[in-house]
Amino acid sequence: MQRIFVYISSFLLCLTISTANAQKKKQIIMPPDSTKWLNGFTVHVDLASLITSSLTNNVIYSTEGGIQMDLKHKIFPTIELGIAGANKSTSINSGFKTNGVFERIGVDFNLRKKKPDSKPTNNLFIAGIRLGMSHYNYSVTNLIIANDYWGDSQPLNFLDQSTTKIWYEIVIGVQVEVLKNFYMGWSIRKKNLITQDILGQVAPWYIPGFGQNNGSNWGFNYALGYHFWPQKKSTKNSKVLPSQQIKNQINNK
Amino acid sequence: MKKIIFILTIFSLILNVSCITDETCTQTKYVKLTVGFYHVKDTLDVRTFTPFGVDSMTVQGLRIDTTTNQYHLVDSILYNNDKTKLTSINLPLDNFATQSVFRIKFNAIIDTMTIRHANLNDYLSLECGCIVTHSIDTVIVTNHYIDSVRVFIHNVNTLNAENIRLYK
Repeated sequence: MQRIFVYISSFLLCLTISTANAQKKKQIIMPPDSTKWLNGFTVHVDLASLITSSLTNNVIYSTEGGIQMDLKHKIFPTIELGIAGANKSTSINSGFKTNGVFERIGVDFNLRKKKPDSKPTNNLFIAGIRLGMSHYNYSVTNLIIANDYWGDSQPLNFLDQSTTKIWYEIVIGVQVEVLKNFYMGWSIRKKNLITQDILGQVAPWYIPGFGQNNGSNWGFNYALGYHFWPQKKSTKNSKVLPSQQIKNQINNK
Repeated sequence: MKKIIFILTIFSLILNVSCITDETCTQTKYVKLTVGFYHVKDTLDVRTFTPFGVDSMTVQGLRIDTTTNQYHLVDSILYNNDKTKLTSINLPLDNFATQSVFRIKFNAIIDTMTIRHANLNDYLSLECGCIVTHSIDTVIVTNHYIDSVRVFIHNVNTLNAENIRLYK
């Protein structure tokens, strides 16, 4: 009985020591986070919207850009601005025309975890959200009201209709530093409309910054950007300890 | 990894472009007034209505000439000496007038039915355009063959509903 007690006590003691050691190791291995809170900002323009405009024969056209702050290289508050429009004609010769400004605010998060012994990198794998808004005017023309039996028909025109649309977007993408401070990246967006059309209202066919008025859309951006005022990498702070050095530190302590 | 990024990029671009391709109208634009024919049968304590088919029927619109203030028959005939014993007919109301008049010939007896209605433009989509729905105000009939009339559903739209009942 005494032996059993001794065995159990020794086992528990070993377990306590090893746990304490492991905690000690964990505390020491984590290098101090030397990243500043404000780490400059990136100004970017979207190239995908320009390509899409040319592929659709300018039925829709869009140009957009944005500013992205870098907070601790983890959080990226973003403002995006753009102009977009559409000049659509249907098979029944009715037309839709609009031209408007849109803006989005949101935040991206860097999902890439920094490993203790990895090289410092500015490449990002991001996920984020946006809240978009556009207040714009549009015209719907030549909507034919047929009156086949009674013998005449009339065109209806709805000019200078005004509306405000709000939507949210879920964004995922990558951002890579291709040259010093020059970034390229793409993102895929799922856009969902928050404001709905009023029943009976002549609803817009296109929403600047959102796309076709479908309630839900997919979007794609391919951005080219320049990073201003990046954090200067001081060799003293950014030097990463190799694994062996960390082990030595543990042993010394 | 590079391959995956490339494929995703191309896929997204195609998705972006395919979203603005031309669309065709899939919504129904068929707005017609439905008129049903009923036979009234009175017994001592009960009045019953049963649908009945007319042996032969010809239906044509009547349009007022604003200069002479006289009604003229519309060129096109809606039902021409139809012998299929129809129990109901569909009629188009005038989208730009607040009154539609029809001449209905039951076998050899002629009645006219005047429908007063309001019109409402209803925008469907850019591809489909607009339709005009109606709200029936009053219905007046002559009583050569028809005994009476009753408006059942005032709103005339794309839904299949019996709006008016004509009783014999």
